[in-house]
Amino acid sequence: MSTPSVTQLPTDSPPTEPAATVAETRPARRLLHVVERFGLVFLLLAITAFFALWPGTSDTFATTANLRNILANESILVIAALAALIPLVAERFDLSVGAIVMVSSITTATVVTQLGLPLPLGVLAGMLTGLVIGLVNGVIIAYFNASSLVITLGMSTLLAGVGSYLAGDTTLLGIPDGLAAFGNQYWLGVARPVWLLVVVALAVAYLLGLTVFGRTLLSIGSNESAARLVGLPVARSVMLAFAVSGALAGLAGVLLLARTGSAAAGVGAGYTLPALAAIFLGSTTIKPGRFTVAGTLVGVFSVAISINGLTLAGADDWVEPFFNGAAVVIAVAVSALLAKRRLGGVR
Amino acid sequence: MNAALSPAAAPAALALSGVTKSFPGMRALDDVTFSVTPGRFHSLVGGNGSGKSTLIKVLAGVYRADPGGTITVGPHARGADDITPAWSHQAGIRFVHQDLGLFRALSVTENLLGPELPRAYRSIDWRAAHEQAQDVLDRLGVPVAARRSVAGLRPAEATLVAIARGLRDADTTGVGLLVLDEPTARLPHTEVDELLERLGTLVAGGQTILYVSHRLDEVLDHSHSVTVLRDGVHRTTRPVEGLDRRELTRLIVGEERGILHKRGPAQADRSATPVLRVEGLTGGPLHGVDLDVHPGEIVAVAGLVGSGRTSLLETVFGVHGHVSGRVLLGGRPLRRGSIGAAIRGGAAYVPEDRALHSSFHGLGLEMNLSAAGLHRYMKKGFFRRRDELGDATADITRFSIRTVAPDTVMVNLSGGNQQKAVLARWLRRNPRLLLLDEPTQGVDVGSRAEIYEQITEVARGGAGVLLVSSDLDELLHLADRVHVFERGSPVACATGSAITREWVVNTLFHSTEDQ
Repeated sequence: MSTPSVTQLPTDSPPTEPAATVAETRPARRLLHVVERFGLVFLLLAITAFFALWPGTSDTFATTANLRNILANESILVIAALAALIPLVAERFDLSVGAIVMVSSITTATVVTQLGLPLPLGVLAGMLTGLVIGLVNGVIIAYFNASSLVITLGMSTLLAGVGSYLAGDTTLLGIPDGLAAFGNQYWLGVARPVWLLVVVALAVAYLLGLTVFGRTLLSIGSNESAARLVGLPVARSVMLAFAVSGALAGLAGVLLLARTGSAAAGVGAGYTLPALAAIFLGSTTIKPGRFTVAGTLVGVFSVAISINGLTLAGADDWVEPFFNGAAVVIAVAVSALLAKRRLGGVR
Repeated sequence: MNAALSPAAAPAALALSGVTKSFPGMRALDDVTFSVTPGRFHSLVGGNGSGKSTLIKVLAGVYRADPGGTITVGPHARGADDITPAWSHQAGIRFVHQDLGLFRALSVTENLLGPELPRAYRSIDWRAAHEQAQDVLDRLGVPVAARRSVAGLRPAEATLVAIARGLRDADTTGVGLLVLDEPTARLPHTEVDELLERLGTLVAGGQTILYVSHRLDEVLDHSHSVTVLRDGVHRTTRPVEGLDRRELTRLIVGEERGILHKRGPAQADRSATPVLRVEGLTGGPLHGVDLDVHPGEIVAVAGLVGSGRTSLLETVFGVHGHVSGRVLLGGRPLRRGSIGAAIRGGAAYVPEDRALHSSFHGLGLEMNLSAAGLHRYMKKGFFRRRDELGDATADITRFSIRTVAPDTVMVNLSGGNQQKAVLARWLRRNPRLLLLDEPTQGVDVGSRAEIYEQITEVARGGAGVLLVSSDLDELLHLADRVHVFERGSPVACATGSAITREWVVNTLFHSTEDQ
């Protein structure tokens, strides 16, 4: 080593305190963690058990017919929720999912009944409608750097108008048997919509967890500026997220048409908040603080089973919106609390 | 809870007794006991993990210490586990944290008076407010006009305003202890002197100051006494008189290590095509910048705040487009304003503010490490998590990143380890040009040395490094060439042995005095 021409000691630095480490050793602490992580799942099981055993509902709730019904009915919401989940991973809200469901179902109904085109074309038209709307959302939000909350809210209002224009005050009926069959019949003992639910859930889970696109969205949601600075295509990814979201919402719209056999301007918009509630509820469990497919599924069914049980017990109509609303409020509050705890340990 | 009655009379301005703070798996403060005499300029020093941040947070009531300790401020005493922000304020402790906590969009008056703005009927009496605020400023000798917006203040002025805010009720309720946490961290040298002079005046007037800093020169030149913490344990509290820099460092670091020599003769190959050539670059704060970086060379850019150093790096990397001039990477012109093009051309950029621009806080370490190279993990349509974790483990060893697991959430790593991870992320790509903006700011001594080693190795491998740094030791240790920037263009340059502390300081400040 040459003689040092400069003997300088590096100046010290302001220390950064590490947040509380995850290296828990006490078993009690670990148990607490498990409870926190799977709390909602336990709650779901507890609610299910309750309604299955409580005399007021035990004979109606725990029947295969009822449970099959819940699953099949919720499949539309699940797909809508998974649609909204994709942009949310990148911290973008899609408040227009419900409206897209509505417009797509009307579009498919119109194409098939009034235009008389074959069913597959109708289904494609529905999904394409969703895709295009999603693309418009995506371009504006990603390339104009506009607030996703405001843009999708505006879009949803706009779409309500479009829906009224297309369907007027009428309810479109007369869909082909093939579609109705899909919506209401069974294959291997499980309702067909549920099979679709499973396929979509697996597809979205794959997209978010096992592709570069999914990881890009996750990175954008974590730190958008950092994502840009490592060369990730932020604008393009956000745009695509909305496009996929739109297409899936379109699929949910087609499914809605299949199950109910009708399409109307008023039906569909009501899926938006329950979808977001489910996603936020789901972010408190399995992977706390993250928006996940598994969590969203738990979220959807927690609310669905609660409402179903209460309805069977004789609760009034107001129970459903009350529950959905309460779920949104509680879910967002808890998920914010968990995020705060994870990212900065203060008392 | 007894006043330290000694021949030196008065109760201590601050006394800690047996203060401990534990986190899961580690102890940030371990039975810390010391006291500060009133009217002293008392420094608190320590490296990463020393506990000095934790101590301040305990004093401020942000962290709750373990039961059993006591904290006394003048006549007020309280169990350490019972300290709240309200108690802290009432006991007379005022804090000026590193980010100052000022409302940049508001005026100095609004910041100073806050909720106590004078009212006339139902609305605010602005005339009286400005007068009152100016009065406070004049009283404390702060040469700032009350009506000015905080956003327009120089960093030193802003710091003084933050201090004035803290001392505002010195006459009424009394300020027993003014705690300043790294107030000079982001101040240029001339402003540091201004601040320290002002602080000296305050202390002479009887104010006790607890000065947390990592700048050993400031500590040794300006404080009366110093407390050193290391690994959460109190090492010493003593007068500064008779203490030299070597001894102080030994107390902080624990052993005589970390003496950095000049990096050895430059390995630069000046005959080869420059890795980076900047010609007449103009745009934003930059004016006609010409600069070369050759393979194996570490070129440093020094300059005061506003000199355009960060802009230079950002413009080269494509974060901003430039108005005129060109950037050549490996001899080929680089498309302006495109980060993708810069990365494809072999550039890598480590920004100054890690929290804002490089760290994916909520994601795992392995995800942070792979962020600049995701596509390699896609095989047959599936993202290979196992390979990602494997690569992370390899990097953890190679870069000595201290972590519990390869997928620990990034925010749980210390600053130094996070920074190593950010550097590792780019080095996976074998960049030909490494752009570094204050790479060791806020990093502990040990990690700092490791990062320097990595940078040196990168240069040895033939890459070029363009380093922006305000740390003189860093410049002296690493740089083959130093450009001093002023107002957006390079004004002076020194190479090899001509790079000395004196030259850098003199060029930066146009002064002929030694530092």
